[in-house]
Amino acid sequence: MATPMTPSDAELLQLIVAGDEPAFTALYRRHQGFVYRFALMMSGSTDVAEEVTQEVFLALIRDTHGYDPARGALDAYLRGMARNQVLRLLARERPYVPLVEEAEEGAAVLITQLIARDDQFRDCTRNEVIKLVRQAVLALPIHYREVLVLCDFQELSHAEAALVLDCPVGTVNSRLHRGHALLLKRLRVIGKIDSAARDTQGTRCFA
Amino acid sequence: MNCQGFEKLALALARDQFLDAAVREQSLAHTEVCVRCAAHLAEERALLAGVHAIVAELAQQEAPARVEAALLTAFRQQVTAAAPVVIPMPIKTRTSWQRGAVAAGILILISMLAIFWQRSGSRDQQAETRAVAPAPSALDRDRATPAQPVAPGPRSRVRHHPSGINSDDIEVVTEFFPLREGEDLTALASGQMLRVELPGSALSDVGLPVTPETVNTPVKADVVLGDDGLARAIRFVR
Repeated sequence: MATPMTPSDAELLQLIVAGDEPAFTALYRRHQGFVYRFALMMSGSTDVAEEVTQEVFLALIRDTHGYDPARGALDAYLRGMARNQVLRLLARERPYVPLVEEAEEGAAVLITQLIARDDQFRDCTRNEVIKLVRQAVLALPIHYREVLVLCDFQELSHAEAALVLDCPVGTVNSRLHRGHALLLKRLRVIGKIDSAARDTQGTRCFA
Repeated sequence: MNCQGFEKLALALARDQFLDAAVREQSLAHTEVCVRCAAHLAEERALLAGVHAIVAELAQQEAPARVEAALLTAFRQQVTAAAPVVIPMPIKTRTSWQRGAVAAGILILISMLAIFWQRSGSRDQQAETRAVAPAPSALDRDRATPAQPVAPGPRSRVRHHPSGINSDDIEVVTEFFPLREGEDLTALASGQMLRVELPGSALSDVGLPVTPETVNTPVKADVVLGDDGLARAIRFVR
């Protein structure tokens, strides 16, 4: 039995230009989720995520021709717009955004328990883990945070992330590594995590 | 393999990304002899476990339905906008300080008019006073939608004077716009409505379109005063 063909983004965009409302609804429902979640992970605020989602699709309504299929897929274009909106809103709201709680003690609990003997969430509830990691991500500098959100949370390839961020793939690689290092540092109390192992090792080995 | 080489591969190993089998073998062999690198790999894996927990938590998170509704309204306006003069205002583009400034300006103007009106004692000439219970639905969201011209349309309605059939008595009014951010007009049990004249530029303060021809033209407006005498909402009349 033949299944109905799902229209491509390009086909939907053509219909949108012609004023087809169901086409816009279909395109919006197809892509709003990752735009919203990207903004949510970047800002930690549902209000910002909501506003970013509105602005991104409103811009698409106003200027459908602004998207050039030759430059990449529509979702990359939308993510790029979402990123710009997030940066704009974060810059605007910065004076009013409360400092992210470092939660050093809790973070120590997190990492040591996450890696505890094949039982990652034995003593630390899942919600606590989620809360602590999210706080640590939000405390990262923006340019590390956006790479982490794209590559780890939205599971884009490095090349796809580079397209969204309009930077070389090598930059994505290095920022991802650096971002992870910073994140682990935030989630670790130096000297407590695996301290026994570190003590025995002392200095870096070059085996 | 040494620690420097391992560090470059630790993330890929933790993520189970495709690696050359020999390189993978060497990396894992390194963790057998280097406790530090083994711990680092365990940390990366633990972190990714946390990330996956968040991804699962957020998987069903989507923009609320009101966003789609607002966008569809904007889309319809874009489609039906015949005149390219009117550019729809972006949703929620005004910053809170801009809204505050606009509201403050209108509040001062209204307060001065109210004082003048009370002192003059000629209420009949200047004000149309009545008890009102404005209960426009979803006013906050209305304000967040793109602007519309002051003309018969989805946000305008025709008001007939009860006693008059004369076509001069027919008024076209907009919906009420709250003057203070977050104001819930449905909670306003009673108040007074005051008819005022404002410069045409005031239309833009609530997101209505203003052309160069109308910017200095006086426009009539109804202002809702709360029991405390403060202006709460405004609508424009033609």
